[in-house]
Amino acid sequence: MAVIDHKSAALPAKTNTSLQALTAAALALPGLMLPAAQAADDEFGVQYGHYQETERNLYGVQSKFRPIEVDTVQGSGNIKITDRVKFSFNYIQDTWSGATPVATAPFELRGNRPTDGVTGATPLVTGKLFFDSQLNPLRTDGFTNLLGGVDNRLVHTMSSASPETRKQGDFKLGYEWDEAAIDVGGGISLEDDFESRFVNLGGRLDFNQKLTTLSGGLSYTASDTQARLDHDILPYVDTGAFDSQIEITGENGKIVHGHRKDWGAHFGLTQVLSTNALLDAGLGYTYGIGYMENPYKVVEVAFLQDASPGADYAYLGQVQAFLEQRPNVRHQLSGNIGYKHYLDAFDAALHFNYRYYHDDWGINAHTFEADWGQPLGHGWTVTPRIRYYSQDAADFYTPYLTTQQNYADLNRKLLPDNFSSDHRLSGYGALSGGITIDKQFAKGVNIGLGFEYYTHQGGLKLGGSGEGDYADFDYWAVNGALKVNLEALAASGDHGSHAHHQHHHGAMAPAGVMFDHMLGKGGFMVGYRYMYGSQGGDMLHGSNLVGDQAIVANGCGPNPCFVKPNSMAMHMHMLDIMYAPTDWLNLMVMPQFMDMSMTMRRLSGAPPDDEAPDGGGAHIPHHVENGHETGGISDMGVYALFEVLDAGHHHLHMGLGLSIPFGDVDIELRRNHQVDGGLIHYGMQLGSGTLDFKPSVTYTGNYDSWSWGAQLSGTKRLEKSGETGYRLGDIFQSTAWGGYNLTHWLSANVRGVYTIQGAIDGQFNQYIDQLGPMDYPMNYGGRFWDVGFGLNAMVPGGDLAGNALGVEWLQPVGTDYNGYQLDRDGTLSATWHYAF
Amino acid sequence: MNPADLAKAVAIMVACLGGAGCAEVAPWQRGALAKPHMALDPYPMQSTARAHIYSSREAAAGGGAGEGGGCGCY
Repeated sequence: MAVIDHKSAALPAKTNTSLQALTAAALALPGLMLPAAQAADDEFGVQYGHYQETERNLYGVQSKFRPIEVDTVQGSGNIKITDRVKFSFNYIQDTWSGATPVATAPFELRGNRPTDGVTGATPLVTGKLFFDSQLNPLRTDGFTNLLGGVDNRLVHTMSSASPETRKQGDFKLGYEWDEAAIDVGGGISLEDDFESRFVNLGGRLDFNQKLTTLSGGLSYTASDTQARLDHDILPYVDTGAFDSQIEITGENGKIVHGHRKDWGAHFGLTQVLSTNALLDAGLGYTYGIGYMENPYKVVEVAFLQDASPGADYAYLGQVQAFLEQRPNVRHQLSGNIGYKHYLDAFDAALHFNYRYYHDDWGINAHTFEADWGQPLGHGWTVTPRIRYYSQDAADFYTPYLTTQQNYADLNRKLLPDNFSSDHRLSGYGALSGGITIDKQFAKGVNIGLGFEYYTHQGGLKLGGSGEGDYADFDYWAVNGALKVNLEALAASGDHGSHAHHQHHHGAMAPAGVMFDHMLGKGGFMVGYRYMYGSQGGDMLHGSNLVGDQAIVANGCGPNPCFVKPNSMAMHMHMLDIMYAPTDWLNLMVMPQFMDMSMTMRRLSGAPPDDEAPDGGGAHIPHHVENGHETGGISDMGVYALFEVLDAGHHHLHMGLGLSIPFGDVDIELRRNHQVDGGLIHYGMQLGSGTLDFKPSVTYTGNYDSWSWGAQLSGTKRLEKSGETGYRLGDIFQSTAWGGYNLTHWLSANVRGVYTIQGAIDGQFNQYIDQLGPMDYPMNYGGRFWDVGFGLNAMVPGGDLAGNALGVEWLQPVGTDYNGYQLDRDGTLSATWHYAF
Repeated sequence: MNPADLAKAVAIMVACLGGAGCAEVAPWQRGALAKPHMALDPYPMQSTARAHIYSSREAAAGGGAGEGGGCGCY
């Protein structure tokens, strides 16, 4: 399951955010119009983040699993509906992949067993251990022959996972009085195996001439788990304790169902202490009930048998893995206190925060944080930060268990009620440091970059006695954020001038058309493009429907096909930043984030799974029940637009650009059943893998309420192949459209599009499971005809004046595929942009 | 700091509420406090991202207004 409780996790931040909002409100008194960086109205922000963990210590076993990494994209907005009614929304999605510990075991169990000689590792969760009379594991040669001596080393048993994506949307609606406010909010978080819905209610009260602010809130969260247990270790894991919650699937998989509820309350206080100092404090409490296990973690249990007389060990342990068991109730309490001081001499802000946490699982934790906010002039601020965290182990945390009984006659009463070897419940300390660099541009545009390095070590636990160093790991995380404050834009006096910069006001092109207009000298534009593409239904060969038998026989080149795609979805989020150094030259940068998902089904009449090439058929049950997901940063476009003609109602410009291959083209599916998953097929990789040349020519015209335009554009791959051995086909596209202004702020448009894309050249130079048409390069590209219907709106007045929104649905009307591919459903484009 | 100490600290702050022990700060004296980098959290989006990661790696994420989703089961 992907990431976390960003909200409850973000509690300290969240509390701070609301407190800071209060503080801002408390401080923004009549006659004191100072900028408040926080809780700004009419502010929109986007942020991208990348998280990268280091490898775990496996004592010499070379694991080819990549450590965990997470790509996150987030968008948020605060909108002032009236002077007193505020609405804010937040969207976040993250995709994670990589290796994760499934268990902890004595090294002698050799759970990370090398495969292919030296390079691979596949998790092994059962086996034999020898113990002395003190229950120390004894050293062996790996083949159950004792070498003499004790080996107390522990090690994580690592397993890998295919990429998974989580998406969360939430909102808050608030009403403000002069010295009080209330808000209600809610949201939903969706993953394949975990869903969570939440509502909350909050309020604040200012008094004592706004020197004091009290805040409080209540929340309720309901979460459902439907976790598919790891195919690879399933036969070796005892799931008996959860029998009533387990569903057996048609492909003999097991899905654990669980339900959990959390009620939370928090209370906060902010106090101005002097002209230079602030204090804030908070108390929080959460009551959770229900299924709190991590369904993917197991605990190793050694079933001890007495040695026969004369043996050079005391016990033989038959090791069996059990799904972890946690209490079904958790009470969590926390308190934090922070102090912020302004240092005149440096124009700097020094901030300390301490948080204490206690729960009835036996965990006490302390967090100390300090940061120093230092403005450097010209809108730059640098904030170095340091953090120390320490926690005790949960009462039921144990790396592994021993029990004096036979597994064949298992008596669960002889095992503890609860046990977990999840390293998050162990005792350890963590030290991290980082820096935030922030640049505030004039006109309310802000760019921030953050970096943090974090080290988790048993030896850093406060007071010592932390977990051993086998569980140590480090990570680094970076993020970049862009914020646009429309209120500040308006206040900067430039309000409304966008019309002067934008050549073709009132004549926006359909939302799916890029490079449709230029800006006048000095103009700046920020925008966001979203595109959703869907495929589903029948398979086509060329333009013709094709049945399973024909796909099996012909869709996969020299091999038979075993599966076909059932549905495919692509979501693209693109940032659109444009600047006009002169009237005739505009520069554009377009970073993008992409995520994709697909489902598959077996083809009827396909040969048995075990006839698939390279043993890849072992993965078919997993593919047809699970589907695949990928997501992350994609290729970035940099473009220059040149004005060719600007003659009243007619305008012609040319674009030259490059697409820089930042998107991954080596995403792998997880290894299981002792067979590598290999690379995920071409269409689910996140980038082209090659440097691409992207020229375009665009003509636009308008007269009265009518507008029209046409564009030719292309993508030419500039390299023979990307790092994984192939290159996507070149693309040529032509489109023409017409639009009509329905009112002074709303226009409708229609367009036609013709696209040609070549097949893939070359093929993966690494292993790929060849199970369906999508795994073969000849089944890519084709000739496509589409018709688009769109609406564009330009906010004509008020605080949001100048914001342009567009939406377009592109309906396929003709498809002539290369080879065998899944039919197209259509493409939705939505855009927002603001020029100033 | 144990819970008792924490309670004491909070009690001291509460004592401040009436103004006793805390300086009077008139609105026109709050210029320094209103500077962007004096906000309790000047970078809420970055803080959210960081907290998001801590919560997937540390046990002490809860204990407040639990709201929101994600399992973090990796």
